[in-house]
Amino acid sequence: MIDGAVSLARLALGLAGVFFLGAGMLAVLLPRPRQWSRLERAACSFGAGTIPLTLWMLALTWWGRPYSLPLILGPLLAAAAGALAAKRVSSKQLALTSTEDRKPKTENCFWNWLFLSLLFLLFLFATLRAGLYPMWAWDAIATWGCKAKVFYESRGLDLTCIEAHNYYPNLVPLLLTYLYLCLGQVNDQLVNLLFPLWGALLLMLLYSFGRRLGLPRTGALGLCAFLALNGATFITHLYIAYADLALTYFTLGAAGLLYLWLQDATPRGGLGLAALFMAGLAWCKYEGAPLAGTLVLAAALTLLWLRPPQLWRCLGELALPLAGVAAGWLPWRLYVSLHHLEGGADHVLGFYPHQLWGALPRVLWGLVDPALFGILWPAALLAGIFCGRRLWSTPRLFLALFLGGNLIAILLAYALAPTSEAEFLQYIRGTLDRLLLHLAPVAALLAGEGLKDFS
Amino acid sequence: MAPVKKWRVWLLPLVLLLWGLQGLWLLWHFREEGRDLACRLAQGRVGEAVRREDPFQQWLTTLAGLMPPDSTYVFLDRYEAGKEIEARYRLVPRRHLLLPPDIPPSFLFYTLRQEEASFLILRDKSLPRGPGVRAAEASPAFSPVPLPGPGLVFRVDWSRLRGEFYD
Repeated sequence: MIDGAVSLARLALGLAGVFFLGAGMLAVLLPRPRQWSRLERAACSFGAGTIPLTLWMLALTWWGRPYSLPLILGPLLAAAAGALAAKRVSSKQLALTSTEDRKPKTENCFWNWLFLSLLFLLFLFATLRAGLYPMWAWDAIATWGCKAKVFYESRGLDLTCIEAHNYYPNLVPLLLTYLYLCLGQVNDQLVNLLFPLWGALLLMLLYSFGRRLGLPRTGALGLCAFLALNGATFITHLYIAYADLALTYFTLGAAGLLYLWLQDATPRGGLGLAALFMAGLAWCKYEGAPLAGTLVLAAALTLLWLRPPQLWRCLGELALPLAGVAAGWLPWRLYVSLHHLEGGADHVLGFYPHQLWGALPRVLWGLVDPALFGILWPAALLAGIFCGRRLWSTPRLFLALFLGGNLIAILLAYALAPTSEAEFLQYIRGTLDRLLLHLAPVAALLAGEGLKDFS
Repeated sequence: MAPVKKWRVWLLPLVLLLWGLQGLWLLWHFREEGRDLACRLAQGRVGEAVRREDPFQQWLTTLAGLMPPDSTYVFLDRYEAGKEIEARYRLVPRRHLLLPPDIPPSFLFYTLRQEEASFLILRDKSLPRGPGVRAAEASPAFSPVPLPGPGLVFRVDWSRLRGEFYD
């Protein structure tokens, strides 16, 4: 009992360290952090903290230093504390006031409590499910959790004893390794708690974006519940320890911030924060970098179509998120090249037209399958239809381009997949849910725009 | 214009109704997991106890105690069965090589020698043995490890294998 409590406390301290690092990153990136609500800062700081932490662990491996908590946390915490102290001094000089409660509160107590209760019950289930069972799901034990165990045992990024898609980026395995170091042992039940936490932060981000887009509190809460409680995909990803939930979080952060920036509704520093989320995307999963690329592409196309004043300056500013992609992508690519890690050739062997036509009905069914996402995607489609002219005359075009472009990209990816005919359907079944999950919160944002129009 | 607006007024309740039905479906979908979770919580059968309920996992735990951490082993199974990844996960940092159970003796022996593998593991001893395993059973370089459980383990003296292709 006492051991369990001590382990939980060590895990909580480890996670608090990540939040603290993230707060330091936000202090550097956001000129006026108080223009962002506490909820937004909390939701962003965890993701922002994971990136320097895990990249630093990669750097330690490069320098041949075995992992230890003082070596990992010492310099990073000192830098974060310095950034926070400097920001505190400059904030006092600027005498900024908090803007957290600047929006009028439109209360609807019954619905607020209903949505909060539903989310509470969901997270109670997911937290217990994650924390009381050992890792068991396929990718968790085949890739992410397995690597974390190896990295912890070897106190470094040692890939000599396994073949577990060694070329995959390592944000999640290194974060799990860090948590094992905090726990002082491999405890693959407790570290699972990372995932419901990440899911909750994702919903906090969605709530914050909904509020910034003008939804009342009830609407924003409803939007979160609508995303979380539609289909089983999001719920299961709260406890199966896949990197896809982290990728979804970074996708939402990057897409939401870019969307707000296009609407001129983001406080200063929003684009820098979007760049950080882009780095997280590229460093989280193999498909993260192309996904981040499509975000920048959708933003650029939206700008070119809408032709806002200072178009070229805006286009130039997109270099910042692109730099974020490079910052998240390059270190690992360099490591892979220099250490001659065998790269994957999963999707580059050829184009199979029959697979494209075979995948089309299945992807379409996946969008309306109650088991995957319930009515989330149809609701997003309806919201897009009801936008009418505003879909192509406002920045909402960005959401439509990103979602539509990536759905086409998924189809094309299936047409390129070198699978046998017997495996193909299984391949789609095994991957479609998570590919759609990456996009689902952005679809929820579009549904939120529809909800705003209704209300 | 008016009928469209009226239709829109009905749309939100319709979406809410469908979402409500979806909620009921979710309750039905997760009922087994919820029940299992509640039972385990009530009986305190959580954490490592979940693993100990699986004979394969128990067997792997015992096996991990036998194998030195720097050893290499060949695991004979099909990837699709999903058991190989469980074994690899439990046995890291030992070096893991996966080969199909119906592998011919030449390739099995060649791999064992080339990779200096000191253990050969068959996931399910009740399955029909392939030619590679049958040859291993007949070879003096392999000694069976008397380990109760679902699988079969051989200690391998790889230096006694010629490890050449002679098919």
